[in-house]
Amino acid sequence: MNDAKPNANFPACRQSFAARTWLLLYLAGIVTITFIHQPAILAIMLAGALLVSGKERWRHLRRTMLAILVFNLTISAGYIAVCLWQGAFSLNYLLLVNLRAILMAYLGFWFVGKVSILDAVAGWHTVSLLATLAIGQIKTFERILADFRAAFESRNLARPGWLARSRHAAAQAQTLLDKSFAASNEAAQAMRSRGVFDD
Amino acid sequence: MHIPDGFLSPQTYLPAYAIAAGGWTWAARGLKAQLDETTVPRLAVLTALAYALGIIMVPIPGGTSGHALGVAILALVFGLRTAFIAYSIVLALQSLLFGAGGITALAVNALAMGLIGAASAIIVYKLLARLNKTFAVAVASWVSVMLPGVVVALILGIQPLIAHHADGSPLFFPFGLSVTLPAVLIPHCFIGFGEAVLTVLVWRYARTRKWLPE
Repeated sequence: MNDAKPNANFPACRQSFAARTWLLLYLAGIVTITFIHQPAILAIMLAGALLVSGKERWRHLRRTMLAILVFNLTISAGYIAVCLWQGAFSLNYLLLVNLRAILMAYLGFWFVGKVSILDAVAGWHTVSLLATLAIGQIKTFERILADFRAAFESRNLARPGWLARSRHAAAQAQTLLDKSFAASNEAAQAMRSRGVFDD
Repeated sequence: MHIPDGFLSPQTYLPAYAIAAGGWTWAARGLKAQLDETTVPRLAVLTALAYALGIIMVPIPGGTSGHALGVAILALVFGLRTAFIAYSIVLALQSLLFGAGGITALAVNALAMGLIGAASAIIVYKLLARLNKTFAVAVASWVSVMLPGVVVALILGIQPLIAHHADGSPLFFPFGLSVTLPAVLIPHCFIGFGEAVLTVLVWRYARTRKWLPE
């Protein structure tokens, strides 16, 4: 869920401070980008980000391209189609909007790869609590779904078709909710025993 | 219907953040009192469900995406404040972990889906619950998809008017309202039916487990 690894040699409060500093830098960065309307500057910034983001750069770039490719292709193709029809095509616009989207998404994946989100929001109690709950439950969902999928595939000699998979998903939906609720209930009881709800 | 990063002008997202900040402060007030060992597991399950629904999306030519929201069930079980803040966190996580939506667009997405979607679901449910509760949940869910769709389409559609070069070429989102309104609303009209079916199923599950408010 989160790429950043906790650093055992780094005190928790300093880790949280560092994470918050990165969060503020990231936020300042993406706001600044929206005020830049020259594709050349955005290209230089993207090259700079790639250069300084270390050995994970290609993984982050791959995730970035996967995340934005379909949307940006759709908008770019739509823009070209409208311009072919109405005129006033601008290559500058296409470069600007695509470079901006790539750079912003790249910075997001770089930030998440470098910093734990939970460390970054540790200072805001409500946000931190809800983010912890959501991330914990998302992990539970992922684990239960992976278990269900493995069990289902192990009972089929050949790869099941869409219909069989849909029927299986529908049949398992309630169990998924029950199991994830039970897991979440355990977490809530643990929180209760540690005094999280006592104020 | 997430709006991605890079398509909203600062003239749009900065005021939206100011409004959303007020909304988040209001929503956070009293939230802790609502959270205990009974409500936390329910909130966690429904928040994770909303997250999972939101990342199964298809792009829409008008510049956004089509997907179920899961905000109606959050609103019907927990009320407006909790639904708004929980859905805002879902949107932030989707943006950071999957690149779905965006951090600059977060406030607009949260106000549209988390606040207007949740509020419309609650209002429609209260209006129709006397007739038939299942029908009320279904219509409330459909409206909770369509109204945010209208807001998202309007916000995207005004971008070429408020942010453009001197020669008129756009700086952010390129299409006007004549494109965005039909492009967002027609697919979401059908997505709303899927959302209604899904919400009714989860609502029935919640009802059998006595999660719903009296």
